[in-house]
Amino acid sequence: MEVEAVYLRMRHRLLCSPGQTIRIKDLAQLVGPEDVIQEIGHMIVHKITVQDKTIVIVDLMEVLKTIRKKFPLLDIQTVGTPQTIIEVQYKRPKITGVYFVIVWILLFIGAALAIMNFHEDVSMQQVHQKIYYLVTGRRNDYPLLLQVPYSIGLGLGMVLFFNHIFKKRFNEEPSPLEVEMFNYQQDLDQYVIMNENKENEKKAHDD
Amino acid sequence: MTIKIITVMLIGLGAGLAVGAGFVAILTVFGIIPRLMQITKTNSQIRSYEISIIIGVLFSSWYGLRDYTISSSQWLLIPIGLASGTFIGMLAAALTEVLNVLPILMKRVGFKEQVLILLMAILFGKVIGSLFHWIFFVHL
Repeated sequence: MEVEAVYLRMRHRLLCSPGQTIRIKDLAQLVGPEDVIQEIGHMIVHKITVQDKTIVIVDLMEVLKTIRKKFPLLDIQTVGTPQTIIEVQYKRPKITGVYFVIVWILLFIGAALAIMNFHEDVSMQQVHQKIYYLVTGRRNDYPLLLQVPYSIGLGLGMVLFFNHIFKKRFNEEPSPLEVEMFNYQQDLDQYVIMNENKENEKKAHDD
Repeated sequence: MTIKIITVMLIGLGAGLAVGAGFVAILTVFGIIPRLMQITKTNSQIRSYEISIIIGVLFSSWYGLRDYTISSSQWLLIPIGLASGTFIGMLAAALTEVLNVLPILMKRVGFKEQVLILLMAILFGKVIGSLFHWIFFVHL
């Protein structure tokens, strides 16, 4: 048999349903002779069971082992990340609506209280009275003419910072929140890759 | 006498240096200015933004510590209030983000699509909390 090269690239993340069998074509992109790829693609690497819970890491080595059982002479060139994160998606119970309202009210009251505490903390009332005097030359203990626009400005500033709210965006760039969520997801992935992958840890005295 | 004056001046200068450096450090950590430049696409104007901040700080520290007044129209207060509110709003938004509150909340609670609605909760909370504070709370 002539030695042919097959190029294999593991996908970063795969969503699947419980009980699904994971084949190599789900896990990786393959390039090479058509018939070989067809056969490799249909090989089974893993079957999702209840014990797997929500996250399974399939290591590249596992995939290579599976392929080499059938094609011991095949030259496999690997590109990219050495593992795939499989996320098992279970059906969520339908109480999220109530949760959502609770979280909404929590955030609303929390934000309101936080801003009031902040104002008290930095003596905002005195500062506003002083600004009122600086501009008009008159004393006013309750300078609402300054404070109402200030309160509206608070909301405006948050809209500006997060770039999009109410479906309208100012430009195409991702907002800081989207970047932040991406970074957080990357950190989680990194953790999961190191900790859920049994191949990564081996205790020497076990052998 | 001279020694006293020089000592007081030195203390004042030192305190000012520390506070000014701290102020700039806070602005840098929160990244409000890069954010504004990104939205308005005016990255080349960074120098004049720096000057604007320095003038703003000098102006407010001078007039804030003194008892001057410019005896001008009270309607001038509306743009001032709006601008200062916007600045504090951006500061609050940046603080929420630095603390990583929202990504963790999204992940924990699992509402990925409704981020906007939850953000609006925080936003309205801030606006209404602030209005409540000025209109009712200060009278208590």
